[in-house]
Amino acid sequence: MRTLGSDAKGIAMKRLILVLALAGGTAPLLGQQPQQPQGPAALGAGVRRPPPPTGPSPRLPDGTIDLRGLWVGGGPSGERANLEVQGGLKSGDISPLPWVKDYLAKVDLQKDPYIWCMPMGVVRKSPLPWRFVAEPAVGKAAKILYLIEEGGTHSYRQIFVDGRKHPDDPSPTWMGDSIGWWEGDTLVVETVGFNGRTWMDRRALPLTEKGKVTERYTRLNMGTLERVVTVDDPDAYARPFTARFTARLSNPEDDILEFICNENNQAGLGAGTEPPREFPVVAPPPGAATRP
Amino acid sequence: MKRIFAVAIALIVALPSFPAAHHSFAAEYDDSKRVQFEGVVTKLEWTNPHARLYVDVTDASGKVVNWNLELAGLGLLLRNGWTRNSVKAGDKIKVEGFAARVANSYRAAPSVITTTDGRSLFAGGAPAP
Repeated sequence: MRTLGSDAKGIAMKRLILVLALAGGTAPLLGQQPQQPQGPAALGAGVRRPPPPTGPSPRLPDGTIDLRGLWVGGGPSGERANLEVQGGLKSGDISPLPWVKDYLAKVDLQKDPYIWCMPMGVVRKSPLPWRFVAEPAVGKAAKILYLIEEGGTHSYRQIFVDGRKHPDDPSPTWMGDSIGWWEGDTLVVETVGFNGRTWMDRRALPLTEKGKVTERYTRLNMGTLERVVTVDDPDAYARPFTARFTARLSNPEDDILEFICNENNQAGLGAGTEPPREFPVVAPPPGAATRP
Repeated sequence: MKRIFAVAIALIVALPSFPAAHHSFAAEYDDSKRVQFEGVVTKLEWTNPHARLYVDVTDASGKVVNWNLELAGLGLLLRNGWTRNSVKAGDKIKVEGFAARVANSYRAAPSVITTTDGRSLFAGGAPAP
């Protein structure tokens, strides 16, 4: 959203009044059930956006689908971020190995790295907007795509689309090592080299250093971006699984806002918990059964 | 300063927990500790990951306590039409929300903030990104 300058105050005030009127109409009252926005809908529930446009996807002169635009959603998101439910999976499609089940039974959900201003990683999305930026140019000429995220604690990813392979032994990182290529109108992004610290959803589903994430981005129309995410982590899950998400185009006047998470993070003060001193690398304990 | 009529009422109402945003609402706030009060804004911290609104509230005995209200992050507040001038120090407001789990910490996640001039501000402290 662009900054509202003094010349825009009148418009801003009208918008504010409209928003306040709408908010007043939906505000929970004593004795009534509050709204229960969840996942990608959480932001939409708070921010009254018009429906996304539905015209054909824009194309670049080289024929490539243009992925540019400010996108919202596209992954497990919100306080109840749930990869299985929000990703359209059936119960049991995600098959944690026994050691992962033990880990999940004991994990302290207050130690979600995101609560403490650490990155969300690759699979999960905040309900705040994100966009692709290309270097040196968009379309097939692009060599590097940056995925700039407002809500992933204001982080970015870089995706190499210049034909290179992953390094043999990538240095483990929160966002991993991403390479991309086009398959028809779909941008495929393959990421390895994770650090084992990120949670794929609010339930603490781990992604170990052995994990591989493949994302398939397809702009279905002007306002809708499909994101199909396959997670193959032989150290944590008995089988690969594939979740489907949809991101929507934000309002034309929207923009990425600054989000410096640590400037006033008071997490824990209401709960009576101390900030974690470390964000542990989650890995199978010695002797735990994994798949090849 | 205007005379403040303020009451803090804790009501036991069974409500499902809110999906908060950056923080874990369920970890920080107790959805069975509903609070409702009027008070005078002392400060708005226009910050991430949450904005914070501080409100002086006078209890029945005349003691003034400063409540710390967790609003949404700026990304949601700005997109909802808030600016840093939407509420100012000195404004009298009514608040409904949920108290923090730490007893007597005077921290709350508001679900509704109403100004005495009749504006109802989406607070986002409970449902927010």
